Amino acid sequence: MAAVTYLELLKLGGSEVLLVLAGLVVLLVDLAVMRDEPRQNRMLLAGAISAVGCFAAGLWALQDGITGRAFAGMLVIDRASQLVKVVLLMMTAATVALSVQGRFTRHVGEYFSLLLFSTVGMMLMVSTENILLLFVALEIASLSLYILTAFNEENPQADEAALKYFLFGGVAAAFLLFGLSVLYGLTGSLDLREIGAVLGQRGVDAGVAVAVVLVLVGFGFKVAAVPFHLWAPDAYVGAPTPVAALVASGSKVAAFFLLGKVLSTGFAEVAGSAAWHGVLSGWAPVLAVMACFSLLLGNLAAIAQKRLKRLLAYSAVGHAGYMLVGAMALAGATDRGRALAMVVFYAATYGFTTIGAFGVAAAMERAGESDRIDGFAGLSSRAPVMSFCLMIFLLSLAGIPPLVGFAGKFFLFGSALAAGPGLGLVWLVGFAIAMSAVALFYYLGVLKQAYVVPAGERAGTLTVQVSVILTLAVLTAVVLLLGLYPGLLLDPLTRALAVGM
Amino acid sequence: MAPLHQYLLLSALLFGIGLAGVLTRRNGLITLMGIELMLNAANLNFIAFWRHSPNPEAIEGVLLTMFAIGVAAAEVAVGLALVIAIYRRYRSVNLDEVDQLKG
Repeated sequence: MAAVTYLELLKLGGSEVLLVLAGLVVLLVDLAVMRDEPRQNRMLLAGAISAVGCFAAGLWALQDGITGRAFAGMLVIDRASQLVKVVLLMMTAATVALSVQGRFTRHVGEYFSLLLFSTVGMMLMVSTENILLLFVALEIASLSLYILTAFNEENPQADEAALKYFLFGGVAAAFLLFGLSVLYGLTGSLDLREIGAVLGQRGVDAGVAVAVVLVLVGFGFKVAAVPFHLWAPDAYVGAPTPVAALVASGSKVAAFFLLGKVLSTGFAEVAGSAAWHGVLSGWAPVLAVMACFSLLLGNLAAIAQKRLKRLLAYSAVGHAGYMLVGAMALAGATDRGRALAMVVFYAATYGFTTIGAFGVAAAMERAGESDRIDGFAGLSSRAPVMSFCLMIFLLSLAGIPPLVGFAGKFFLFGSALAAGPGLGLVWLVGFAIAMSAVALFYYLGVLKQAYVVPAGERAGTLTVQVSVILTLAVLTAVVLLLGLYPGLLLDPLTRALAVGM
Repeated sequence: MAPLHQYLLLSALLFGIGLAGVLTRRNGLITLMGIELMLNAANLNFIAFWRHSPNPEAIEGVLLTMFAIGVAAAEVAVGLALVIAIYRRYRSVNLDEVDQLKG
């Protein structure tokens, strides 16, 4: 273990340090200077400071030449982790932009600083290969999100949603920690690489199976995969809409990147196989079952939903299923870095799209309407720009070319098919494709309300906040651009991960 | 020094009791206690594995336990705050009465 000086450590963790500083400055400024100002001004200033913090941290992460592995893999900074951090920071910035003109809380400083702190947790999640920091970072992100969920003063159900989110999360964290303790007992190490080496000699036995399943329970909660998804619909509905967007995007990207790292370094040799007629014990069959049920339940339950946020919640469960199908490729792929790049690409582009869809829900709520889907009737004439954005987002979520959702699904399924052995995963990929046809039905149901059904008689033009419409426009541009040129994000990701693995 | 398997039995038992508490009790506070029991079962595991490891000079297990205790304390703080918020709104901490969100 090479010794690391404090200066080098500051340099390695520079983005996180900057973001923590920004969070503290937001708290301080709001408390000391802005306490007696009207809420609108406080929101604007706190949002501006948070956005500057995100920008600075992103610039730091984009610098060349910051790489290193400190303290037995606690802090692993490489091109891939820095790239994912930039994606996470963009998502947080979008969340901040959606929040600044909201009216859901009086606790402005606390709200924005917690947003930044949860992002710090996510950033630590993507830059560690040590199970100590894995657990701590996961909890930093989760605890901040539990609190943020309860921030919604406009919705009396927010407390209930937060308590449910917290209780499920707490139990999942306990499962994860117990699994990690078994892993430590089996291998005598906290470093995922050493754990991987020891497990490679050991093979799959009862102890390893217990550890793998318990760890997957913890991650299953974090990515909202069935059967650990029960918190998701309630938390999405109860939380302030921008927070729900962050839970669905940033937290998912970080969790999938970390899961991919755990599966491809720590559990690399205990993968087993989920191929048809060739099932071998390991994590692959467990993941395949979770993927299957997530796809089935997420997509079918979304059909019955009458509110956009609840629909997006179940669609998030379904999308977790797609990403798990992609993660299955880590079991058999010869090029693990490439397979992980596909999963992260899908998670990132799904995140940008879903933030946009939540942004539309936020705009509707802010305009005094609700997110009920029948309230979207005639949206194309009441708010033409916003309904165009909504159309782009929903079609991308459904996977229609040339939008980014199609590119993501194409690469993801391609990598799962190629991973094999042979064409062993065809059954799973075929099922996922069938389920994305089901998904098209409920996304089009929303668009039918917006574009075909005429508006009610008393419905006038909707006023949408400037900050919201700008955010939606930027996200629409991202979805279109990445759909036409997926290489813009995919190539750097593939290159960075090919080096890292 | 007690043999390793006795520690592991005890921690499995603690984990099971905690999980049973979470699943069966409807009181928000008792559910919190169950989660704490589960976390501490994992902590006990870490300490036991460290004590019985071939080189106890490497204190990683103890280190992780210290962090886990800190995290658990933060979790209780958040959990109790949420339970208080629930109590203020519903005048009850019975989870069965807190069910406005359905679906």
